[in-house]
Amino acid sequence: MRVFWTAVALLGALLIQTALTQIAPGHARILDPFLIVIVYCALTGGEMHGMLAGAAGGWIQDIHFGGSVLGLAGLTKILIGFAVGFASTRFHLIEPAARVLVLFLATAADAVIYVQLAAVFDVASYQLTPLGILFRAVVNAVVGVAAYEIVERRGRMGLDVRRRA
Amino acid sequence: MARVIETRKTRLLLVGLVLAHLVAISKQVERGGQSLLGQSLFALVAPLQAVITGTIRGLSGGWSGYVDLRGVHEDNRRLQQRVAAMERQLQEREELAREAERLREILQLRKELPLETVAAEVIAREGAPWSRTITLDKGSSDGVRLNAAVLSATGVVGRVIAVGPQASRVQLILDGQAGVGVRIERSRVTGILAGQPGMPTAVTGDLVMKYVPSLGDVVVGDVVVTSGLDRLYPAGLVVGRVRSATRGSGLFKEILVAPSAQFNTVEEVMVVRTPLPDDTMTQGVR
Repeated sequence: MRVFWTAVALLGALLIQTALTQIAPGHARILDPFLIVIVYCALTGGEMHGMLAGAAGGWIQDIHFGGSVLGLAGLTKILIGFAVGFASTRFHLIEPAARVLVLFLATAADAVIYVQLAAVFDVASYQLTPLGILFRAVVNAVVGVAAYEIVERRGRMGLDVRRRA
Repeated sequence: MARVIETRKTRLLLVGLVLAHLVAISKQVERGGQSLLGQSLFALVAPLQAVITGTIRGLSGGWSGYVDLRGVHEDNRRLQQRVAAMERQLQEREELAREAERLREILQLRKELPLETVAAEVIAREGAPWSRTITLDKGSSDGVRLNAAVLSATGVVGRVIAVGPQASRVQLILDGQAGVGVRIERSRVTGILAGQPGMPTAVTGDLVMKYVPSLGDVVVGDVVVTSGLDRLYPAGLVVGRVRSATRGSGLFKEILVAPSAQFNTVEEVMVVRTPLPDDTMTQGVR
């Protein structure tokens, strides 16, 4: 079931990212819905789930929105998923404030790792200024935590409905 | 225990995924035309490639050198042919220049001689101890007469002994049967100049001046000119110079004269067409 919902979430991320590239092509990368999904998977499912979700989401991003070299986003998201999953098993990251911090750091790390990997492999990539990374991290953190709240409320509502029934 | 296994599995999967991604990325990334993996492989096989490349270049260089050498050989052959052709041309031009020089000398002599002459070319030479003749390309149709004197730019050559319509034969004064009336220009001592029968000019090419009295004033170096007394050669033409003059055993001196005409190399001559009165030669004739 977890795999199914993960796939649904990644599909939703694909739809959102596609829509963003159509609506605001120059600013589509500010919000990273795949990262939000992956972080959520890692926070709720641990290292393995976060890593596999990262691999899937990263490759979708590579295939649909990446450059000529596939795998850079995949590798980045694997590392992010693993790191967040690793952290979630050791720290209590349920509170929205903690998740904001995780999303903020994950977004910044994602940007830094991606750019560094691109530099290592001598691949042209987007260049983000520190301010750009900060802005992007803030947006992802805010939007991501809001999304997590919506999802979890709905989840709790569904659970209550099933209990009443 | 189960958690430890789960953690190891997760980390192994992480390492596997990371490695797989690195390989996948490196295969796509090109650096200098090769992927990272390709570059690594290239670094391994580069020495072998260097050896192979060096060998191929060596063979290629050898082959191109061989081909170039063949080209050089062909060029050399062509250039040699060209040089030979140019040498022939040069020789021809030098020959033309020499001929022009000779003709100029002949022309100059013709201008100075108060004689009517016809220029002729030597077309054949014959030589034997008892007979020295040349053949000219002018004959009776050109006004050449029997016994006409034949001159070169440097001296008397001989006389016509046979005449055909288009050619004539000349007996050189070297011939053992030839005789020229001469005199010593300085002392006016006269004599007869003749070839030396048997071995006329084989050693020195000298002529013998006969019938000069023992008391005749002849010294080495005296110029010998025609006297005209033989009614064949106009008087005053240079024949040669006294090489030696000794007191003979009899009444006459033994005098050897070096001819001034170059019999072996003469190619253009003049044939006197009109007989002239004696002693009409001028000093300029010489």
